Amino acid sequence: MKVLVVDDSKIARMGVIKSIKEVYPNAQLLQAINGLEAVELYEKENPDVVFLDLTMPVMDGYEALGKIMEINKEAQVIVITADIQNEAKLRVLVAGAKNMYPKPINGEIMAKIFKQDILL
Amino acid sequence: MEINCPDVLLDSLENGHMVVDENFIVSYWNRWLSINTQIHKDEIIGKSLEEFYPEINYRVLQRKIKTALSIGTPTFYDANSSKKFIPINRNKVTTSSLKLMQQQVTISPYIVSQNRVMVSIYDISELFEAKLLIKKEMRTINKLNEKLEADREIIDKNIMVIKTSSTGIIKDVSTFFCDYFEMEKEHLVGENISIFKVADISNIIYRELVQTVQNKKSWNGELKYKTLSGQEKWFQTRVLPIFNAHGELHEFSAVCHDITNEKLLAQLYITDSLTKLYNRAHFDETINLLVKHKRKTDIDFVLAIVDIDHFKSINDTYGHQVGDEALIAIAKTLKNSIREDDLLARWGGEEFVIMLKNVTLEEAKNIIEKVRVNIEQSVINNNIKVTASFGLTRYIFGEDAKEIFKRVDDALYKAKNSGRNRVVVK
Amino acid sequence: MNLEFNEDQIDALREFMNVSIGAATASMANLLDAFGTMHIPKIEICNSDELADKIEASIDSNSMYFVIKQLFTGKFGGECMFVISQESALNLGNYLYNAKNSSYDDISDAVLELTNILTSTIISRLTQELDTQVQFFVPSLQFLDSTSVVSDDDVAEYSKIIIISTVLDFEDKQIKGNIYVLTKDKAIESLKILIDKKIEEIYG
Repeated sequence: MKVLVVDDSKIARMGVIKSIKEVYPNAQLLQAINGLEAVELYEKENPDVVFLDLTMPVMDGYEALGKIMEINKEAQVIVITADIQNEAKLRVLVAGAKNMYPKPINGEIMAKIFKQDILL
Repeated sequence: MEINCPDVLLDSLENGHMVVDENFIVSYWNRWLSINTQIHKDEIIGKSLEEFYPEINYRVLQRKIKTALSIGTPTFYDANSSKKFIPINRNKVTTSSLKLMQQQVTISPYIVSQNRVMVSIYDISELFEAKLLIKKEMRTINKLNEKLEADREIIDKNIMVIKTSSTGIIKDVSTFFCDYFEMEKEHLVGENISIFKVADISNIIYRELVQTVQNKKSWNGELKYKTLSGQEKWFQTRVLPIFNAHGELHEFSAVCHDITNEKLLAQLYITDSLTKLYNRAHFDETINLLVKHKRKTDIDFVLAIVDIDHFKSINDTYGHQVGDEALIAIAKTLKNSIREDDLLARWGGEEFVIMLKNVTLEEAKNIIEKVRVNIEQSVINNNIKVTASFGLTRYIFGEDAKEIFKRVDDALYKAKNSGRNRVVVK
Repeated sequence: MNLEFNEDQIDALREFMNVSIGAATASMANLLDAFGTMHIPKIEICNSDELADKIEASIDSNSMYFVIKQLFTGKFGGECMFVISQESALNLGNYLYNAKNSSYDDISDAVLELTNILTSTIISRLTQELDTQVQFFVPSLQFLDSTSVVSDDDVAEYSKIIIISTVLDFEDKQIKGNIYVLTKDKAIESLKILIDKKIEEIYG
């Protein structure tokens, strides 16, 4: 399984990666530090799952989500963000994300995500 | 031992504490509140705060209660405005600035599951009063500062003030000073004060000034300065040494007052208009003062009187104008022949007087003899030669001016009668 | 005392602040019934004598500001400062008090309430991320011009200061404010220790 983790913060990416490894120790991990890098990597690597942050420099998560969905209507994107407003969740769900979770993430939540939100 | 009776605990606190839910139903009312509001806890518990205090803004209060419950940290009710929460009279008699207790109200989550919060009331009246007092004092200070600033401006615009460091480096000058000297402040600051020194003021004055201020005393005196355009000005100057907190010399401040006109008038009053020497009035005044004060260093002098021989014939032969020129020339010769400290004046007509200071009679005689030779050797108006006769005498302690003049006149008379062009000592 | 931060520490601090601001924005969104745009927090380390200039540079010089400062103490202690323009504050006051032209008292109360929510949420969230606890003090409110937000007299003593700042932005309601978390000297050291612990935990 190939997973793309997108966040401008290293500690945030590490947090997500740590949680993934608790559930899928053998997952192949890709990282991007902004929306633009994420879109490019998505196109090239076609990962199974994308964990996407919203507030990022260069290109934010909303725009990246739109572009990824354009590339692949079936893309499985989980938004992991500090923005816990209901409206933010509504917006990303409308844009095609599978679900949205507040930061920080842990192994328990990650297990739930893979069980509920993602088709492998 | 664990304490298990929060009622007693809260009752012992010197602040108001109540527990209410988000509909303002009171479930606890501590002793402080009972005493200060005159509402006993039995009266209010179970009832809404609104029944007792309808003036509170309950919309705001409710929002704050909800916030405290939802974010789990205390919120503060109206911490800044003049609105009161639960009005409590203040009975302080000596100060009347506050009729009601000034309160700080904190709403803390108490039992979140039951939507209950603890509302705590702290009396901050003393603090508030102190703040009011500071505000009032600040207003007074600001007013004083304004006045001070206005005064400072008046001084700056109308008085010549100059400040220097303890080593004489100019630190500040008033606008008036700059205007007067036709100089820019930027150019003056950083310069040494000595740029104002004028060569023809005797160094004695400067030395006296420096010595006085170094002894940490203020100096008062007259100084001459030159403006940028070269005008000479006289100033009554007061130099004040200023000390730092440790009593060390910190800087100097000088206040100057232009006395050039007074100085010119005074000069005119004591000057002989023809020869520009001192006039008789000044000489008289000086000698009378010396004799009167009897200061040892001052009354050690020899008096000489000079009379031009046959001066009337110069006037008759060449006319009065040449006679005047002769007097001017002789005055110049006299001045150049004696020392700077000696006092020379025109006594009247063709007569001059000289006060020779701190000399023996012998020395005085030598000086005057030289004067006599200088006059004899000088040529006036290219072809006129003159001589002069001299009377000389030493001041005797205790005598008055009349007595010494009588004696010196006698000496001159003798010189005239024994062939003129000579010096006679008596 | 080593007060320098390495890249990982700054990254972590920025992320914790991001999470905290997220919580605060959500609280504010509830209060205002509006959607707030989140901005990336900025971390700056400066000397106390530079603080006034840094704050001044981050706000518009043409406006007057309500400035609310709230102290918090604990292992991680400091000051939380919220700076909101007169215009934004008026919009906030009008919204919270249901009025067209709120009084100064209403506005200051509304600003205080908002700050209360903001600082409480941010600081408690931040300290939660850092596994520590803090105590809050009563906030103080001043009405100032952009040059006086931090007066030079206030920071007469030399110290190193960390400025964690971001913008709260509710465009629909025309309410915008700058929030600063300031901490210095000893508290910076404690903060570093807390961050390092957290980094170790996550990096494994």
